[in-house]
Amino acid sequence: MLVKLLKYDLKYMIKNMGIFYILSIFFAITTRILFNMDQSVMIKILGQISVGCMFSMIASTLINTMMRSWVRFRDSLYKDEAYLTHTLPVTKNDLYNSKFIQTLIFFIIGFIIILVSLFITYYSKENWAAITNYVRTITIGLNMSTAFFVTMFFIVAFLEIFNAIQCGFFGIILGHRRNNGKIAYSVLFGFIIYLVAQTIILGLVFIYGLFDPSVMKLFETATVNVNVDAFKTLAILSSVLYLVIIYLMSILCKKTLNKGVNIE
Amino acid sequence: MNNMKLLEVKELNKSFDNKEILKDVNFSLTKGKIVGLLGKNGAGKTTLIKLINDLLTPTSGEILVKGKKIGVETKKMISYLPERTYLNKQMKVSEVIEYFKDFYDDFDEKKAKKLLKDLDLDINEHLSKMSKGMQEKVQLVLVMSRKADLYILDEPLGGVDPATRDYILDTILSNFNEKASVIISTHLISDIERILDEVIFIDKGEIILQSDADKLRNKEKSSIDEVFRRMFKC
Repeated sequence: MLVKLLKYDLKYMIKNMGIFYILSIFFAITTRILFNMDQSVMIKILGQISVGCMFSMIASTLINTMMRSWVRFRDSLYKDEAYLTHTLPVTKNDLYNSKFIQTLIFFIIGFIIILVSLFITYYSKENWAAITNYVRTITIGLNMSTAFFVTMFFIVAFLEIFNAIQCGFFGIILGHRRNNGKIAYSVLFGFIIYLVAQTIILGLVFIYGLFDPSVMKLFETATVNVNVDAFKTLAILSSVLYLVIIYLMSILCKKTLNKGVNIE
Repeated sequence: MNNMKLLEVKELNKSFDNKEILKDVNFSLTKGKIVGLLGKNGAGKTTLIKLINDLLTPTSGEILVKGKKIGVETKKMISYLPERTYLNKQMKVSEVIEYFKDFYDDFDEKKAKKLLKDLDLDINEHLSKMSKGMQEKVQLVLVMSRKADLYILDEPLGGVDPATRDYILDTILSNFNEKASVIISTHLISDIERILDEVIFIDKGEIILQSDADKLRNKEKSSIDEVFRRMFKC
């Protein structure tokens, strides 16, 4: 049943997100074409408009994935559509897992679309060399390989955003257990859960720092002039902690959902 | 075996913020009955139906369908028509049929298509382009196209014209079999009276009467509509 639920959740998202993906790629291509044409004033203006549109579509891709995931979660589980959702012969765990996986998939697609759009717009040997040199300068300073740095950067960024989305899910679940002010409480609980999750992660890093002086230095000094190994440790540690927090929170979300709902 | 209880509601209570909506509700239904759940606005009919369908969580008490607690298995047995439109408006009618086919093993696609044709509903139309009344008809078709053990219809006649009301009642009757039961909640008692086997009167969250429809008519020497009007006179 999870596969069937996922099929419809993915269909919903592609119907709503598809246009942003198409427009991102479209404006990336038009920008590329305009940048490669003879640079008359009019072409320059059109190129700048096109690049502006491309960046706004990229931003929309990320923001909309986040917003649509929350809206879909609320509508499907707590608004009119919930009359169908909760009467389907499926477990509440499957209902939650479907939304969770759908969000995960669309965030990965969103990241890929953003990278492809930027690649189409800006790729050239010179730009590629400039970027790799810039990243290499950083990675040499941090005593890391470029592949490790880029991978960890995307993993941590991805997990951080995904954690924020799941905090929103949990906020919606808790907010809709109230009889009044469900939306306001959903937002409030979402923020509180996010702050608590971040504080727990920071607290655990601090505890780890008690056993690793290089990490503890990050808490003790205001400059970044610390042991570079600390950044490597921090990147791995925070990724593991985010994964644990995301997993534990998903269990809490499902447990709360399984206690039952009160649909208006 | 025929007298096996299809639905049992035991000492069911539901409160919102200390306000009791249902108080100690007890009743049971057997197979092969069309039951009218009748009461004034705010009497607790919809709350009771939503509790049976897992849309609300009881404050206390128990609901059993064929001896099973409310959950995945009971949802396979219940076909529920809510009082509001609940389908994703971005979908076409054909996509909604596919959706029901995917999730309900007892869904009869051929029957759904026939009923849609009878009601002049276009299978390729988007729900967002349909009026509320048309969407309600689509929902009714989907619900009645399942071979469920228990049909629960919350105000199925509310938003439709009198001609369609007759069609809906005929559909309920033609779909009805001895293995299934139907619970119909409505204010339009005179419209459904002819098909009822049993009635349950609910008032202020309490079941005040459960009776065989014919026995009640004979005892009161009047129609159920008249009995209802007398009992609930303001």
